[in-house]
Amino acid sequence: MYRHMSRTAIGTGTSVRKHAVRTIMYIFLGIWAVIVLFPFYWMILTSFKSYASYMGEHLPKFYCSDPTFRNYVDAFTQVPLAKYFINTVVFTALTTALMLMVIVFAAYAFARLDFKGKNIMFVAFLALMMIPNELVIITNFVTITDMNLRNTFTGLILPSVTSVFYIYLLKENFEQVPDELYYAAKIDGTSDLRYLFKVLVPICRPTVITVIILKVIECWNSYVWPRLITDDPNYFLVSNGIQEIRENGFGRENIPAMMAAVVVVSIPLVILFLVFRNRIMEGISREGTKG
Amino acid sequence: MIKLRNPGSLLPAVMMTVTAVLLSGCHGSRQTNEFVIPDEFDTGRHYDIVFWAKNDTNKTQTQIYNQAIADFEALYPNITVNMRLYTDYNKIYNDVITNISTGTTPNVCITYPDHIATYMTGDNVVVPLDGLMEDPRYGLGGSEVAFDSPGSDEIVPEFLDECRLGGSCYALPFMRSTEALYINKDYVNALGYDIPDVVTWDYVWEVSEAALAKNNDGTYALNGKDIMIPFIYKSTDNMLISMLKQQGAGYSDDSGNISLFNDTTESDLYTISGHVATGAFSTFKISGYPGNFFNAGECVFAVDSTAGATWMGSSAPLSDIHENDIVNFETVVRPIPQYDTSDPKMISQGPSICIFNKDDPQEVMASWLFAQYMLTNDVQIAYSSTEGYVPVTTKAQESSQYKDYLARAGEDADEHYDVKIAAAELLLGNMQNTFTTPVFNGSTALRNAAGQLIENVAKSTRRHETIDDDYMNKLYSDVESLYKLDQYGGASKDSQSQLGELPVASKLLILCIGASWMGIIVYFIVQFAKKKRPD
Amino acid sequence: MTKSGVTGKGIKGTLHGWLYLLPAMIFLGAFMVYPLIDVFVYSFEEGYNSASQSYFGVGSYNYGYVLRDRYFLQAIANTLILVIITVPVSTGLSLLISLALSSVKFLQKLFRTVFFLPYVTNTLAVGLVFMILFQKTEYTDGLVNLIIESFGWNAVDFISGPYWAKMLVLCVYVIWIVMPFKILILTSALASVNPVYYKAAKIDGTSPLRTFTKITLPMISPMIFYLVITGFIGAFKAYSDVVAIFGTNLNAAGMNTIVGYVYDMLYGDGGGYPSYASSAAIILFAIVLTITVVNLIVSRRKAYN
Repeated sequence: MYRHMSRTAIGTGTSVRKHAVRTIMYIFLGIWAVIVLFPFYWMILTSFKSYASYMGEHLPKFYCSDPTFRNYVDAFTQVPLAKYFINTVVFTALTTALMLMVIVFAAYAFARLDFKGKNIMFVAFLALMMIPNELVIITNFVTITDMNLRNTFTGLILPSVTSVFYIYLLKENFEQVPDELYYAAKIDGTSDLRYLFKVLVPICRPTVITVIILKVIECWNSYVWPRLITDDPNYFLVSNGIQEIRENGFGRENIPAMMAAVVVVSIPLVILFLVFRNRIMEGISREGTKG
Repeated sequence: MIKLRNPGSLLPAVMMTVTAVLLSGCHGSRQTNEFVIPDEFDTGRHYDIVFWAKNDTNKTQTQIYNQAIADFEALYPNITVNMRLYTDYNKIYNDVITNISTGTTPNVCITYPDHIATYMTGDNVVVPLDGLMEDPRYGLGGSEVAFDSPGSDEIVPEFLDECRLGGSCYALPFMRSTEALYINKDYVNALGYDIPDVVTWDYVWEVSEAALAKNNDGTYALNGKDIMIPFIYKSTDNMLISMLKQQGAGYSDDSGNISLFNDTTESDLYTISGHVATGAFSTFKISGYPGNFFNAGECVFAVDSTAGATWMGSSAPLSDIHENDIVNFETVVRPIPQYDTSDPKMISQGPSICIFNKDDPQEVMASWLFAQYMLTNDVQIAYSSTEGYVPVTTKAQESSQYKDYLARAGEDADEHYDVKIAAAELLLGNMQNTFTTPVFNGSTALRNAAGQLIENVAKSTRRHETIDDDYMNKLYSDVESLYKLDQYGGASKDSQSQLGELPVASKLLILCIGASWMGIIVYFIVQFAKKKRPD
Repeated sequence: MTKSGVTGKGIKGTLHGWLYLLPAMIFLGAFMVYPLIDVFVYSFEEGYNSASQSYFGVGSYNYGYVLRDRYFLQAIANTLILVIITVPVSTGLSLLISLALSSVKFLQKLFRTVFFLPYVTNTLAVGLVFMILFQKTEYTDGLVNLIIESFGWNAVDFISGPYWAKMLVLCVYVIWIVMPFKILILTSALASVNPVYYKAAKIDGTSPLRTFTKITLPMISPMIFYLVITGFIGAFKAYSDVVAIFGTNLNAAGMNTIVGYVYDMLYGDGGGYPSYASSAAIILFAIVLTITVVNLIVSRRKAYN
């Protein structure tokens, strides 16, 4: 199949073959798009089905005979979802801002600066990436409780700030910026700090934005830690809200209401992604090699 | 002179060793002192009580809790109760365990005695209640209590006994329920059977098998539909436990010895498997909530807690299924199937209240007062009316208000729903016939294991696997290790050798990791050597 | 040109570097390293129980216990199968899709947006949807089974049925979940390859396959290795995905993963055993560390070549 895939398959084939290749690729992409979209279609479909008709559906139906907005109303009235939204926005904003500061410096140190022990530290950082979240959670819980930070934003934010994952990603990106730029800047007498913020970050802006978006998504969907740390509903996040709907719904698991809540909760993320998708998809700028 | 190439890298190593040493002292260092009843409850100070409650996703129950809290706070303005609602006992259990290590347990909590046994493995975690109960001023029916609390003789003794662990009382019963057999009378009569007062297992199996008769077109003769599961049991743990108790077979004892894996269990499992194979029997975990099938006319015998009575029957106030799917029929309530009709035995279950120890004994007193409040008639009658629960105090049971409630069965399909009241009456009439399982650290695991036995057998039967002696032996062994039943009953480790041989897979794992690291080290040595030779 | 700035070998350079690393180290130290040490200590406190807060000695009993627990070994087997299947398949598939994406112009933006959607949604909810699609109930065989039956094959119970069926659903779900990120990274990587190289290859008349293997692949290989390494690490940590489909009673379903085993141990029926959980976690850590180091070595060698 590789023969058809590379963009460089230009001009070496006949026009017919080119069209055949194109069509196959479109079909392939189309199939995958359907596979990706189908669960979402199902989710949205379910969110419009009333609880009774959903439970009464013995054969899953692809359509909805009596759509209702009831679930969406329920999602906001049964739990204070609006308040949870605000909490989540605050949490996400603060965590992402803090994270950016931390990882930009760390990635720069690994990518560009040279200092003793750098390689060992990097392997150590990588090693930390392998620690599953479920493990550190209990100790962090004890730490945060001892610091009396239960049911506070500080307690929510602090352990969620750093992830080696993003440091690694950013470091790879920084490393791909050619050395010449750095030496040129050095000759001009620019300090490392200036170089970082005036040159490197702007060049790697797509990746930085990608990292921001990814972190926002991660914070938005984070569930285990907030659930452990907060039992005051004033500090609940949207993921807690979804679980609440799932458990405290009208009957057993109120799946349609939960789907409605998930749809509502995902919309801001989707919008965010749509707005920034061009930046994200830019890829690394090729301007770096000029001059 | 040997210069340290990397002075910085030593620092982390040093820090780590120091932290390690410090930490190992930290584990398990948090303890509270034993609780001593203070002379006087200080009404001048303000207390914040944290109360973790369970409700069955029944909105009325939440309201009752809120009302109880409001009324209590009116009586004791210096106490504020903060409630947190759960829908699952296991979640309460998990959260309590997590909070024990940080000393942030709630004050009052609704839980099972099985779970309390685990909480009590730590010292002074749960407050023993004997002293508190007998205290003349603040105890049950005490003189200084601001409300009309029942005396300890006014609590049903069977229910109170359940809360005794190792001789002391560690909890107050809150509500009690039992399991009931909900029968679709129309279907049973249509099959040509009558319903006796006490039903036997043979009867249930026989009628269930008869209900499987099909029409020529493949639908079931009884309901004309494609689906019919004649007998569904909601809680398979209770099923096996009840069967074993009725047959006088082993299960466990108070010291934690486990005798679940015996021959009677095996023969019961074979019976169950046979009926799963024909399609006559299924469980909640496999097929779904019994009430849904029952109300839709797709089930003849449904066993569920009396606390689920509001979900059973044609006119059930709460239902998960579409109203168009509900079939009209008459529901009767009977005790669960028995082996010996002259000596019926049914399990007693239901939430209990326990109090956690705190450093401040006054806070514990405040919690105790609140816990007592939950036993007053108002709360007891109101809460028990929401489901097929029964109040735990004879004071409430014999009150005119409660008797009036019982008498009005069938008046409406809501508060006086007849099936629900019939279920409550069932327990009231059978209080001497109830039993509970011994409580010890690990009884929860054992109970889950019992249920798992039936679930696994049912699943395997449905997958057409062969159920024979080999299967049973493997099943016993799997379930025992699944719930770590060898860890309880006073077991503790002696030496590594007691554990036995390392299984092959583990040896392989260790070997692979070892070999990989050998390879890695060799690789680095080679690289290092290459670098040393610049040419 | 100051010595510290360029070569960084002096003390000032070292300090400079460490200073930049400091914030990350503080956070990671407090919330990752400290818990790791804590876990390490727990793993040697034999039989430490959360409820009783006591342990009966110091030694390697925990490791011995865990290594003999058939559910732990089952969890390792499940995790290994998951890793071995999902990482190559998802990386390969995302490579194919990225290549296809970069060669079609019309609708490219649309496809890329659609493909990223799974990343944005709550995985628990999506897992529920998968479960609903694949499950067999009393009333119906489930959507996927209906499709299977329309092809003339027999319906399979994917959620509570045979092991291979459950594993299949899990792998499909995990691959579905991890693809968006990989596609994103790879399309960016492909887009960043300097077209100068392609033009040169075209002038030389190189065949498409050679162009791919000699130019494209090496240029994006750092990113591929990044995805493989992080893919392995991520797959070893799989847990919430499995719960989303199979519920929390994973040991009984035979579908537990190592992290699931750790989590179950922390909240066990007997009051929680951080000791066994910690030993299991350390073993996991050892496995993942080994594989990652091997991966890193391989990627370094390939990069130099």
